[in-house]
Amino acid sequence: MRRIFCVAQFTFRELIRSNMLYIWFLSVVVFSALAFLLSILSFGEVQKIFMDLGLVGMEFSGLLVLILSLAVTYNTEFDQKAIYLQLAKPITRGEYLLGRVFGFFSIISLVIIGMGLFIAGLVTLVGGGQVPVLFVYSTLFLLIEMFVLTTLGLTFQMIGTSMVGVVLYTMFTIFLGHGMGQVDWLLNQKLAPTVKTMLRIVHFLLPNLEAFNLKDRIYDPNLVLGWTQWQEVLLYAFAYSFVVFLIGWINLEKREFM
Amino acid sequence: MNWATSEKPFKYAALSLTTFFILQVFLCVNLDKWVHPEPFESSQAGQLDPKIVSSLRAAALLSGYKVLVGHVFWIRVIQYYGDGSNGADHYAKLYDYCRLASDLNPQFLPVYTYGAAALAYQQNRMNEGVELLQKGILANPTVNNLKLMLAAMTYHNSEDYAKEIPFLEIQIAQGNAPTMLVNILANTYTKAGRIDDAIRLWRQILQTTDSDVQKYEASQKLKELYAIAKKNPSEKDKS
Repeated sequence: MRRIFCVAQFTFRELIRSNMLYIWFLSVVVFSALAFLLSILSFGEVQKIFMDLGLVGMEFSGLLVLILSLAVTYNTEFDQKAIYLQLAKPITRGEYLLGRVFGFFSIISLVIIGMGLFIAGLVTLVGGGQVPVLFVYSTLFLLIEMFVLTTLGLTFQMIGTSMVGVVLYTMFTIFLGHGMGQVDWLLNQKLAPTVKTMLRIVHFLLPNLEAFNLKDRIYDPNLVLGWTQWQEVLLYAFAYSFVVFLIGWINLEKREFM
Repeated sequence: MNWATSEKPFKYAALSLTTFFILQVFLCVNLDKWVHPEPFESSQAGQLDPKIVSSLRAAALLSGYKVLVGHVFWIRVIQYYGDGSNGADHYAKLYDYCRLASDLNPQFLPVYTYGAAALAYQQNRMNEGVELLQKGILANPTVNNLKLMLAAMTYHNSEDYAKEIPFLEIQIAQGNAPTMLVNILANTYTKAGRIDDAIRLWRQILQTTDSDVQKYEASQKLKELYAIAKKNPSEKDKS
């Protein structure tokens, strides 16, 4: 456990030194400006616009940190061979990968929570409004989503042979993962059996990111979110991350560093 | 476990992988039931370009930023209605624009209140206004504003202005009503013969609005209303 923590701490520091926190400042400025602009141009419901755009900004900044971190660490670990130093230490490759996951996740969480606090502060202190409970839940769902994507991104890093490949795989998975709701809808339509089978395979292989997408529904009166749903989402995130982590681990074990 | 010399760890890994994969598949199927409780359904393109509509929906649904696309598209709707050159065909695409905006962002109330008010009161397309409001009420069953507006529009359609006024008044008093609705209430006061109330409201609009167009409209209306009040002093006394 201590070894995992050490790798996580090292990764966290490495990413801080790579100026990843600037993304937080950038996102705060860009999304606040965008929210302000939209609320001026639009009619009414300024608070809703701020909340919606804030959540979009939180997810966007998290994804940006993840993708840039993957690119930066691929360069240092694999291209500049820094991974040799780490694996030469008394640490298993599984511990190394898990430590990396936690290190990535801590910096992404820092950015997301920081941005969330800024948005909530802006709405309550400046706007005089109230932060709905679903905003908090939505942030937690966002963190769960980021954990799944971090594991997936690092697995791609273990499988991929180039930085561009890792970034592209991750980005496509994010897009397709958000399209799972429509795949689900397509599965209920009249389609050729082969197409349905293919869609079903895609549906089960890719992460269902719509399961974590509460940000589009924080004002939806039809939303049901009880303990059962929390359990299902947490279990799903854990099961999916575990499968992906195992694939990454096996690939790292099989990988030969020459 | 030594992965390099033994095959055993791979067997364990394969077993765990299969077990957890089956678990995530099972959970994924369950998740869909509450994540998407209603089947995906969207309005037809109507008079809008189907290519634009499809691209917009694809961008919204695949990026996972449906509400953001909805907010940005809503600005486009406002621009469309604000552009006088579209008035040549009486803003024929307004209803389709509003429907698309509400597909993308069903919980954003200005789409319904502003859209329905523009369609029903300003463009005299009561049926489309009512349909838009009905869609809004179904998507937001707990919101009273939309129900009040529907009631007001129904009375307006039957020219029962006296019954329409309280619904508009309550809606405006609750806040978050579009400015256009205040103008509509002022005009309805005039139609119902409540000239004093109409004068009071137009004066309030003149004092509070930032829009030059609205200031001009309010001053014109006030001129007309003062003229009416001068002609019929008995009306003023009555009210």
